Parts: sequence; structure tokens; C-alpha cells
Amino acid sequence: MIIEIRTKEKYAKNEKEGFIARMAHAGLKVKAARLSRLYRVEADFSRPEFDRLGADLLTDPITETYSLSRPRPGLKGWRVEVWLKDSVTDVVGESVKGAIADVLGKEPRIVRFGRAYYVACESELKLKRAVAKTLVNETVNKFGTEKI
Amino acid sequence: MNDTLEKFNSLKSGQLEALDRAAGWSLNAAELAEVQRQFRRIGRRPTRGELETIAQTWSEHCKHKTFSGPVAYRAGRRVKKYKNLFKETIVKATKTLNRSWCLSVFKDNAGIVEFGKGGKWGLAFKAETHNHPCAVEPYGGAETGVGGVIRDILGVGLGAKPVLNTDTFCFGRLDRKYRLPKNALGPERIMRGVVEGVRDYGNRIGIPTAAGGIYFDDGYLLNPLVYVGCAGLIPADKIEKKVVPGDLIVSIGGRTGRDGIHGATFSSTNIDEETTSSAVQIGHAVNEKKTLDVLMRARDLGLYNAVTDCGAGGFSSAIGELGSETGAHVRLEKALLKDTRIEPWEIWVSESQERMILSVPKGKLKKLAAILDAENCEYCVLGEFPGDGRLLVTHGDEKVVDLPMAFLHGGVPNFEKPAVKRVVKVSARPPAPPEDPGKALEALLAHPNVCSRHSVITQYDHEVQGGTVGKPLQGRYGDGPGDAAVIWPQAATLDLRDYAGFAVGHGFAPAVGRIDPYQMALHSIDEAVRNLLCAGADVSRVAILDNFCAASPRDPRVMGDLVQAAEGCLAAALAYGAPFISGKDSFYNQSKDADGKEYPIPLSLLISATAPVEDVRRALTINFKEAGNPVYVAGVARRGMGGSVYNELSDTANNAVARLDMKAAVKLYAAVAGAMRAGCVAAAHDVSQGGLAVTLAEMAFSGGLGAELDLVPAAREKGLTVTELLFGEGPARLVLEIAKDRETEFLKYVSGLPVAEIGYVKEEPELSVSYGGGQLFSACIGRLKACWKKELI
Repeated sequence: MIIEIRTKEKYAKNEKEGFIARMAHAGLKVKAARLSRLYRVEADFSRPEFDRLGADLLTDPITETYSLSRPRPGLKGWRVEVWLKDSVTDVVGESVKGAIADVLGKEPRIVRFGRAYYVACESELKLKRAVAKTLVNETVNKFGTEKI
Repeated sequence: MNDTLEKFNSLKSGQLEALDRAAGWSLNAAELAEVQRQFRRIGRRPTRGELETIAQTWSEHCKHKTFSGPVAYRAGRRVKKYKNLFKETIVKATKTLNRSWCLSVFKDNAGIVEFGKGGKWGLAFKAETHNHPCAVEPYGGAETGVGGVIRDILGVGLGAKPVLNTDTFCFGRLDRKYRLPKNALGPERIMRGVVEGVRDYGNRIGIPTAAGGIYFDDGYLLNPLVYVGCAGLIPADKIEKKVVPGDLIVSIGGRTGRDGIHGATFSSTNIDEETTSSAVQIGHAVNEKKTLDVLMRARDLGLYNAVTDCGAGGFSSAIGELGSETGAHVRLEKALLKDTRIEPWEIWVSESQERMILSVPKGKLKKLAAILDAENCEYCVLGEFPGDGRLLVTHGDEKVVDLPMAFLHGGVPNFEKPAVKRVVKVSARPPAPPEDPGKALEALLAHPNVCSRHSVITQYDHEVQGGTVGKPLQGRYGDGPGDAAVIWPQAATLDLRDYAGFAVGHGFAPAVGRIDPYQMALHSIDEAVRNLLCAGADVSRVAILDNFCAASPRDPRVMGDLVQAAEGCLAAALAYGAPFISGKDSFYNQSKDADGKEYPIPLSLLISATAPVEDVRRALTINFKEAGNPVYVAGVARRGMGGSVYNELSDTANNAVARLDMKAAVKLYAAVAGAMRAGCVAAAHDVSQGGLAVTLAEMAFSGGLGAELDLVPAAREKGLTVTELLFGEGPARLVLEIAKDRETEFLKYVSGLPVAEIGYVKEEPELSVSYGGGQLFSACIGRLKACWKKELI
């Protein structure tokens, strides 16, 4: 299960602008963007338990919302997912794993942390180049893009 | 590789070198031959674990063979021989000064000086570099750099409580377009990752990051420098540690995995196309916080006899170091692992983070275990220190290492390195004046090496622990630059009635080093001391750290620069009465691109200095405080624009380096310090990058006040031009704002010294600077601040 956390639209201006500026620096003109945090939780939990993790543990309810399925992107373009390679220690994932055990009283098998970027821009190729230049270090990261 | 290892004792030199390359040991031909000779003598072949242990113990990173080895230095026809360059310069200064307040120097993980009154506390201070890992993976590299230096403080004596983190970075210029080699990350990418790594580790572990700097130069394009430092407080009666034969070897903190294999040996080579992520470690601040909390409780209960951190080389280095006299018997099957697919020798040399090794009396293990459990901190008992002087490492029935400690720590062969003095053409012709000094000032304020670092500083938590008195951003609006951090470590002393604190400042002048490495060392030490003075610290009790970073020492010119800088360190430390208490060096900061072109860094010496602040309530800041207060310039402006930021913007054809008169500087600083103690000084700021004009502008816009100034009275060398006076970066100068009702008293303190009144602070937000009858510039401080306050990232 992937739990996706997003900043509410009305609080997301700064992170969007920061992202668009970084992409511009890498030579990509971005028309619109949304950013998310991703937690891949591998466990035999029920849906209400995943809901509880999203609502009580991983989200700041004032400024953020969570989703257990892909949220509506709100723009046309591409979704970029960035993760640490499986062989790389993921300390955020490890900490969340411990926190989940504290909240639910049972430990998931694996938790990995990643990020998703929803990007409206001119071409996927240019997007991939810009992502490789700014968001990803291929020594430790893997990433994929998907049309939305 | 196993087949080759079987035949190790009969391999030819070429085969040994091929084996070294394949295994990633970074041993040179002489060292490989010595290892082979020793095993032939013993009459058996080495195990992989033994060769790995030797490679890390003898690595440049652990043994500092370059700096502590023999050198033949040639300057023209003159040749000077050093048996041990480090001992004959850095250590010599400390030994000669023989300060009673130096409690532990050059023998532990950090230097320790006395702190506060009553001899109850020591202040431990250490700075490290984590350059190579940051070039490959900036975020992870920076995080583990911070984690590593914090563990040095946790592992000094019986453990100090960290109260301050420092960070100084060098990157390639962000405002230039480069064609990078295919395996290299761009400077913006590196900077962003490094800043985020330092931020995340420091903030999560709860230690303020409050001092440091950022320096941009093309020389750091492929080899960023990441200096990380930490200061901590330790009870004076917890400084000595001694492993007692029979003690248990207990590892606490993180688990052991395959991350960070060959970190020590990786640090001892140039980075090239083949460099991979295997040498990059991953940091986990929360695990280190648990370790910190356990150590502080267990230390105060006397539950262990010695402690050290697992740094480069992992168990091999930490246990080898603790057991250097007693020997050690280690059972690797007891280690807690992240990954079961790991070879025994990999467990032994893995540099997984957040691990500390304790020497625990058997009778105290139960109590220690109770604290570890309470803090949710994992641990394992790896073996014991037997007292037979032998290192025996086993994994089940397999013998991984069986070597005498004496060979490991004393067997490394060292050979004389050639060093030559570079010839630099120096021109001292008078620099042409700028068309518009006001515009020149604006350009200087916007220069990457001068402009505001707020976009980086504000990412760090510099307030956690509640003791950051002298902040990195200062002034009326909390956004001006600070010269030094002033820390009130009440979180460690728990004494809210004692206002004793300490200041930490830095000096760094690689641009000067390109022209004159000796003067670079002098300028750097002077700048660090001046920064402390400007914060109101007691500069008669300065302790300093040296962190040298250089390109490949196989180049005699690199070694020549190092010798000159080391000699400069000796001279300046003696003149300022400031002993070195710890230090580190990092070589091979040199990269090759796909076409084989070398990118060496300039010799880079970071001086980190600390001095006591008797009462933190009287610490000083840089901003102008009150209209009507007189403004003074202290110190003599000397000729030479060499190494200045102004020279980068406008080539003056003058690259002479301003000479430092150390005797005069010490006399001046003592007098100014007296005036500060008496409460005569309202604000102080050093003249450094950008020169006097930038110093005045920063004081004005940080205070939200203008100033009316005439530079004619300022003390200067004969023949000095107005351009050199305004924009030259000659050392030993500072600007002081004096409380107007204390001016007469102030003048008594500085009587007979080169201290001159140049004007006064005014309410109108305008900085007006003239020279005799002619106005040099008049600028709105809001406009100056806007130029300075750039977003770096």
C-alpha cells in the first residue's frame, strides 16, 4: 500500500514555486506542479488501519491531506516518482516503520519513503532530463515517469 | 580474487598492485611489499580480513601518512628536511605554548580545553571533512559527516555532550555554466544536497548548527569540501579513559550493514569515473540521539571504562584503537546485522553509522543493558579486551584476523615526499580606482562569497538547546551576518546562574593561498581570532583546529604549499598564543574527467577557533546600535589586493598579498579586548571579504542605521591607494562602534595604537563615505541590503 500525502492547495504555493524554479534552473519550463510524499508500507493491515496511519501518523491535518489511492492530479502532464534504490538504507522509512509499530502495535515488513511530482510541461524527455539533473542521484535513487 | 589471495606471498609487485586495485585498498607499492614481507616472515598467507584491516589502519584517512611523514622541501637552492611535518609544525606550536588550560590535545577524538570557572568542565572541539562522500552523494555524505563528528565528541574522554555544530562548505560557482564530466554532479545539486544533509541530521538530533561559512570557487567544481565541526561539554573528571584487561567489548547504536565498505581507503584516493556508491554511508540521526542519551547516563554512573566511535574502518578501527595496548578478541557472529548477506570481513570493516564501542567491566553490563533497553538503543557484546596485545577476530570457527597490534599500528612504512615552492609572479602596481565606488560596493555585496547566507542558515535549527546567544544572523531585524557563534551551554551544565560561554569563529583564505600559502595560514588564524574578538570573546585564550584539504600530495608543488602553510600555522599560533588542540587533513581532492583532465582543488586550510566568553550577556554583535555613536577603524590597512573579491570582479593587475604584522595585531587585539570588557564598544565587525566598504555596509544595514564617514584618518601603509583602503582585504583590521559616553575611556585603552575615528552613526538610512573633500559614495542602506540579500538556493 502506498500512502500519499499532499499539502492542501491553499498552502502549497511555496513548494510549487520552489519546484518550478528548480526545474527552470535545469532548463525545463513547468506550467503547473503538485508535490507529494509517498510511504510504501508493506504489511497485512486492514484498510481502516492504513487509514489510521494516514490520518493520525503521517499527515498534519491542518495543512495536509492523505490518500490511499492516487489523488486526482489536478493538471495534465506527467507523474514522476522518486525512490531510494532498494539496496540503500532508508532512514525515514525505518523511523516510520518504528512509529507504525508504536501506533498499531504490529510492525510492517518494510516501509520505504519516496516523493511524487505532478508536472505539466512541454515534453517527457525534457522532464526526465531535468529530473535526472535536479531531483535524482542515480547512485542512490530510482525514478519513473507516467503520463497523467 | 580468492585465488590471488592464496598466492599472496609469492605475488610480483605488478600483481600486488592489480590486487590492490581490485580490492579497493589504496595501499602503495612500498606498503604492499611490507605487508608481503611481514606475512612471509610469519610463514603463512594473510586472510582477506587481515588485508582489509591493514589497508584501513594504514590508510591516509586513518594514519595521516602525508602530513606526519618525512618531507624534503626545496625553495630555490635551499632544502629543508622534516622527519614529521605535523609534529615539527602544528604539534610543536602547542608543545611550545604549553598552556595549562589545554586538558587533552592530539591524543583523543577531539581536543579539550578548560571551560568556565572552578575547573569543573572541559570544552571538547573537533572539525572533520567529508569531501569524497559528498561528491558522490551530497545528502548522505553530509549527513554522515555531521553524524561522524558528533560521534567524535561523544567518544572523546568518556563522552562529551554536544552543544554546537559548525559547517563550512566549498562549492563550484553556481552562477557559471560548466560542462561537467558525465559522472559529476553540478555545484547547485551538490550544495542543495549538502545543506539538506547537514540540516536534517543536526535538526533531528537536536544540536544547534550555528557557525560556519560557504565559499565558492571554480577549483571546487568536482571536489566540494564539506567541513563539519562539533563542540561539546565534558566533566573534567571524565576526560581520562583506559581499557582494563578483561573488559567486554560492547557495540551500541546502529546495526552493521554493507553500507560504507571502504570509506577510509576511498578517502585516500582521487575520485574518478570508477567511483561507486559502495563507499557512501547513510545516516540515521534518531539512532545517534538514542546513543547520545545512553552514553550521557551511563557515563555519569561510571558504567564503562572507555569509549570510542566507529568511524572510518568501522569495528576494525574502533576496536583496534581501544585495544591497541590490551589486544582484543572479537566474535563477529555476535554483531547485530542489517543484512545477513554479508561476509565476516565486511562486518569487520563496514562503516555503518551511529555505532559506538564501549569497554565495559563485566559486573556493570547488567546496569548498562537496563539503560540501553530503556532508551530503545540496540547493543551487542562482541568479545573482550584480553590483555595479550593480540588482535584476534573470529566468526564462528573462521579466523578473520590474527595479528599483533604492534604490526598494525607501527608497521606502516613511510617514505620521504618531495616538496617544492611554487614560483608565483607577483605584481604590486597600484590598482586603478573604480569608476563608481558605490557601484563597486553593490557588486561586491552581491558577490557569492560576500552575499547573505540566510537561505542556508534559516534551514538550520540554531536555537535548539536554548543557548545560542551570538546567532548566525544578527542585527535589528535578525538578518545581518554574524562574525562568530556565542554559546551558553546551560543545556549541558544545567547551571542557569553561571553565564560562562564560549565563542566559535573561523578563518579561511584559499584565494590568498593561491599566491602565498604561508600568508594564507597567517590570514586564516588572524581572521578566526578577530571574529572571536568581535563577538566579545577572551582572545588571550584562543584554541584552534586545523583542517587542511589539498589535491594529490604526489605533486611536489602541492606538498610545497602544504609545508609553507604548516610553517605559517606554527608562526601564527606562537604569535597569537593560540595552541592547536586538534585537526585533520584530507588529501587527494582531485578529480579526473572522462578525458583524463585533472581538477585539483586549491590548498584549503580551515581554521576553527574557540575562546571563552566570560559572561554571555556581554557578548557583542556587528550591527550599529545608536545614532551619534562614533565609528573607529582599528588596525593598519596594508598594500596589496591579492586574493581579494574585488580582484575577481575587476582585475587590478595587483596580486600582492597584504602582509600580516602579527606582533602589532596581538597588541591591538589585547587593547580592544580591554575596551570591550569595560563596556566601551557597542558593535564590532572584522574587515574581511569585500574589504572595509563591505564591513561598513554590513554594520549599517544590519543596524538599520546610516553613517557619515571620512576615511582620511584611517591608519594605512605608505603609498596605499583609496581603492586598497576601501576594497583591500588586508588582515588585522576591524571596525568598532563606540558608546558615545565611553569614548574618552576607550581612547585610553587604545592610546598609541593605530585606531582612528572615521565618523559617526546617524539615524538617516544612508551610508556616506568620503575621503577628505571628495565623496566616494553615498548609498541607501536599503539598496545595499537588497544587493547583499540574495537567495543562494
